[in-house]
Amino acid sequence: MEADGGAAPSQGQLAPPAVEAVAPPKVERLNPVVQQQLNLESVKTRALGLYKTISHILEDFEAFARSNTTPKWHATALIIVPYASALAFFKYLLEAIFTGSLLGSQRKKKKSFDVISELLHCRQDALGQFSMVSMDLFNIVEDIKNVSKAFVVYPRNVNAENATILPVMLSSKLLPEMEAEDTTKREQLLLGISGLPVHMQIEKLKTRIDMIGAACEAAEKVISDCRKAYGLGSRQGPTLVPTLDKVQAAKIQEQENLLRAAVNFGEGFRIPIDQRQLPTSLPSHLADVLSFGDGAQNLGDNAGAYGKNTSSFSSNQGVLQTAGGQLIGRSVPSPSNAVSFDNASTPPMAYANSPRSGTNIMNTPSPQQQVQQQQQQRQKILQLPHQQQLLVQQQLRQSSAAGVLGQGVMSQLHDLTGQTQQKLQQITNMSASMQSQSLLPRIQFGLTGGHTQRNHPSQMLNDQMFGMGPSNPANMIAMQQQQQGGFGNISTHTQNLQSGMVNLPNTTQNPNFPQQRQQNQS
Amino acid sequence: MECVVQGIIETQHVEALQILLQGLCGVPKDRVRVHEFCLKSGPNLGVVPSEVRLLCDLAQPTPTWTVRHAGGAMRGAGAEQLSVLVRSVVESKVSNNALRFFYAVGYKLDHELLKIGFAFRFQRVVPITVTVTSANRMPRLHAIDDAVPLTPGIQLVEITAPAAGDNYNEVAAAVSSFCEYLVPLLHLSKPGVSTGIVPTAAAAASSLLSNSGGKAI
Repeated sequence: MEADGGAAPSQGQLAPPAVEAVAPPKVERLNPVVQQQLNLESVKTRALGLYKTISHILEDFEAFARSNTTPKWHATALIIVPYASALAFFKYLLEAIFTGSLLGSQRKKKKSFDVISELLHCRQDALGQFSMVSMDLFNIVEDIKNVSKAFVVYPRNVNAENATILPVMLSSKLLPEMEAEDTTKREQLLLGISGLPVHMQIEKLKTRIDMIGAACEAAEKVISDCRKAYGLGSRQGPTLVPTLDKVQAAKIQEQENLLRAAVNFGEGFRIPIDQRQLPTSLPSHLADVLSFGDGAQNLGDNAGAYGKNTSSFSSNQGVLQTAGGQLIGRSVPSPSNAVSFDNASTPPMAYANSPRSGTNIMNTPSPQQQVQQQQQQRQKILQLPHQQQLLVQQQLRQSSAAGVLGQGVMSQLHDLTGQTQQKLQQITNMSASMQSQSLLPRIQFGLTGGHTQRNHPSQMLNDQMFGMGPSNPANMIAMQQQQQGGFGNISTHTQNLQSGMVNLPNTTQNPNFPQQRQQNQS
Repeated sequence: MECVVQGIIETQHVEALQILLQGLCGVPKDRVRVHEFCLKSGPNLGVVPSEVRLLCDLAQPTPTWTVRHAGGAMRGAGAEQLSVLVRSVVESKVSNNALRFFYAVGYKLDHELLKIGFAFRFQRVVPITVTVTSANRMPRLHAIDDAVPLTPGIQLVEITAPAAGDNYNEVAAAVSSFCEYLVPLLHLSKPGVSTGIVPTAAAAASSLLSNSGGKAI
């Protein structure tokens, strides 16, 4: 048997580089690199295991068939015969792979899979095994498809007889030997009637098929009768649906909620403040990580300033003190609407004409700064490439905050094609609020450098802009690039979008905010 | 980005689930023993708090540390149609002074937990990881040896697969189709959506456990 090292791949697709690295053409076994790359060991192991399982099942079947020689089971006997050939094929396949010989066609694999799926409709108590077996088989078929891409068909003998048809056969990975096998099987099948005229052959085959069909139906009937006799129900649905009693179900539901909240949000794991002292003996992986002194300072209070867990919000607004009297974990009383920033509610009450000083942004968090940061973000949206601007503008049109926009903007948006994307709604509403205010702070934004926005606006951007979907990475890169020095562009963009809004008085903004918020939350 | 679904299973059926997963994945299971620190940023780091998780893998001979940040989930009509949750994730291996570093930067320990169980990592169109763990809480700070399960009767099953912005639909489809194989034993859903247990799980589990003779793989 020739190894595949010297043959050029007939498919012309990907030939793994390891194949070309197989140097000597007459080697008996495959290069171990190739073996490893194609994961042949695992395929072999699985195929062998599957082979054992299938033979085991076949033995069961045959034992049963022998003990029950009633006609009902003839159908299964008929099915077992090709099954045995599927097993034989498997064995052939395995040997072929490992001695470097060639893989056969895909048809037989499909046939064996069909056979197995037929078997699934037989004996009921073997169903559990078969689901595993068929799954294994399916997986192996998939893997072998991948493996077989690395192998090529190399004909054993080329002579005048098959030279002309060889290329076609090679392209379909068909061997002359397997072709010969096929024809012998066909002859076997048509034994006795191949001499007859064709239409009679067809009729005889049809009667044979009908006989098998009748046998299968009889088997079905027997199975369903047995099901009814033993009270097992129909095949499709679950046999008996055991219902949990209410108490048990409620308990499980409660446990489930506890577990889900714990894993996703940390409920139930927080240690009360008074118990948060470093133990004297730390586990080994923490021993050199935490020294005794500095661990206690870093314990935030439960639920802390950020109020995600409303249940413990009020109870843990305390000051944690160690023995040394240090203040730990101050809880910052934050406005309640700072909680769900990730969930994109509308900005809190903003005072459009209140002064904003660039230097105070990081030191004193206040609602104004939240709005300011949002404004800066919205302006970055304006700096996005035009396509994304269109998207944002579509959202403006479709958002319910039309009152804020004014007529001028609406007229510009009417001719934009629409794609409803609720992902951008929150940005939309913030854009609306921003646009109406951006006339004012144009000058002031020049003072605030990009560096102050490094931390959480990118977080907010990541969280809130996430909804833009597949086009995300490009957006974020664009926004980040423009974050640094793009403030000079603000004026042009605002003029583009707000030519109709110059007359919009700023004092009308405040009444609209509650309106927006309600619209958002409804 | 990653696609993630979660489900719960009763502890008595975990062994059957393991057998099923072994048959489906074809790889040996990995032990999971992770000490997870959930850190929340202090007010000096911004108005919006951020959460970062430090995972210390104790199953290895030498503990390895990973830092992980999970972002908000994808929202919108498209996301609602998916049966999996898609969210942005940043993960990296770090050295063991990451905890000190985060404390120094201003993060505070919000809570910690210990996850004990097993995981299967395999390839099915995309690399998929199935983790079955029990969440254990520690009665005192960092007291791993005294950890007890928070919900002794129920364990968490989590299936994740990495995704990118342009292929998350295929990844979601791959994860969903894999989840269909687990239907006899558990229901899976987006994190935060309650599912309940499968009533017929006991029957499926017993059939999985009883056929050990035929599974010489």
